[in-house]
Amino acid sequence: MSDRKKNRYHFDRHTPQYRHDFEEVTREMQERCPIAWSDTHGGHWVAAGNREVFELAARSAGVISNDHDVTGERRGYQGISIPAPTRAGKGGFLEMDPPEQRHYRQALNPYLSPAAVARWIPVVDDVVRACIDEKIEEGRIDFVEDLANIVPAVLTMAMMGIPLRNWDIYNEPAHAVIYTPPNSPDLARVGRLHEEMRRDLAGQLAEIKANPRPGLVNALLNLEIDGERPSDEDLLGSLHLLIGGGFDTTTALTAHAIEWLGENPAERERLSRERDTLLDSATEEFVRYYTPVVGGGRTFSADCEVVGTRFEEGERLWLSWAMANRDPSVFPDPDEIDLAREGNRHTGFGLGVHRCIGSNVARTVFKRMIVQVLDRMPDYVCEPEGTVHYETVGVINGMRFLPATFTPGPRLGPGLDETLESLQRTCDEQRLADPVTRRGTKP
Amino acid sequence: MKVRVDQGRCQGHTLCAMVAPQVFELDDVDGHASPVDENVPAGREAEVREAARSCPERAISVGKDAP
Repeated sequence: MSDRKKNRYHFDRHTPQYRHDFEEVTREMQERCPIAWSDTHGGHWVAAGNREVFELAARSAGVISNDHDVTGERRGYQGISIPAPTRAGKGGFLEMDPPEQRHYRQALNPYLSPAAVARWIPVVDDVVRACIDEKIEEGRIDFVEDLANIVPAVLTMAMMGIPLRNWDIYNEPAHAVIYTPPNSPDLARVGRLHEEMRRDLAGQLAEIKANPRPGLVNALLNLEIDGERPSDEDLLGSLHLLIGGGFDTTTALTAHAIEWLGENPAERERLSRERDTLLDSATEEFVRYYTPVVGGGRTFSADCEVVGTRFEEGERLWLSWAMANRDPSVFPDPDEIDLAREGNRHTGFGLGVHRCIGSNVARTVFKRMIVQVLDRMPDYVCEPEGTVHYETVGVINGMRFLPATFTPGPRLGPGLDETLESLQRTCDEQRLADPVTRRGTKP
Repeated sequence: MKVRVDQGRCQGHTLCAMVAPQVFELDDVDGHASPVDENVPAGREAEVREAARSCPERAISVGKDAP
């Protein structure tokens, strides 16, 4: 046993046990070994302390790589998944290093900036309204299936420049590839759905190439890196990344927050009453506490020493955003939700050059869903027996079902399908998916 | 002490505003960071150096004479 690896911990975030013991494991690792070596999944380092995660993720760009070398042209690094995924293919710009990665971010940032996202609020509000209208007279809803799955999916389609009605092709596979375990009998069906989604996305790419229309797809099609267009394969990888980032994460955040607010009705009432001052800090607190994207894998690209540990080139590292978010040295009472928490320096969107590019979208969509739930079904009661969390939280801390009942109310407008048809016209006429920069909208 | 953010390099990763929230603000339009005041308030120098060191894009410059 090498002395470098004297801090050892058997760390397997893919087991249901880890989800169950999360707070205990976090406490133990942070006290005993904020950086540990684990022999699981081929052997890898785990950063669990906030300071360690910060130093490695944000300040070690020169020695940490996200590269997923699928063709074996470079050093064979395996990207951000530990263990390496069985499905080949690079995960878009999240599995690239700068400077290549920077070109992608620069092309997409103007579509995801605070001002660009603000322009979508009326659309988001109308989708939320329609989702709630579908259920409001019944007095029953599944907050995951009937709301938190739909709104992020529709908005992601809209921002990409894909027809809104196609959200349904992407919806189930985008979540199911995350929560379906490799030994599930359902795997073949999920594989077929995923294939259908891949086909549609490739079709959209070709269609937008032939007939440009505004959106994230078009931004990537116009991308040039040192005078060259990226391959369709790299573009599709990045489009899948945008879908993965846009769908399951915001769903997970919203569902967990709604569940917690249902269990804490006094806090729910307070949030509703004091939303003008509390909603922003509450949003950050839910991102911290639930950390939908639980972490990311990296590869050391050089021998180095960071926060007192020596690492060797080629070794794998897991940066746990989720555990860093529960570090008592940064967050007093880290395992408590404090809707008014101040100075909330959470790692819930990651840290460094790969920090979530859609954080403004996530925050906005989350807030718009929460506000309408508070207004239109303020007395909802979730049903624990029908509530289903992801069995494991190795990739996304997600939820599958969150059924609830509430006092029925009146509909305010048309249902979802009709709403999406009219919103499609709005998107097209107002060119909402155009980028916004400091100097205004760029055609 | 003066501090400056190169807008051509800034990618809105928000680390500076995390490290020195009193010194850097994030733009409502493009999400880029800029100093509230290019003259760093007394007592915040260490924070600002820390923020500059944390910027993944090396967009923050600190100095007596800059900008």
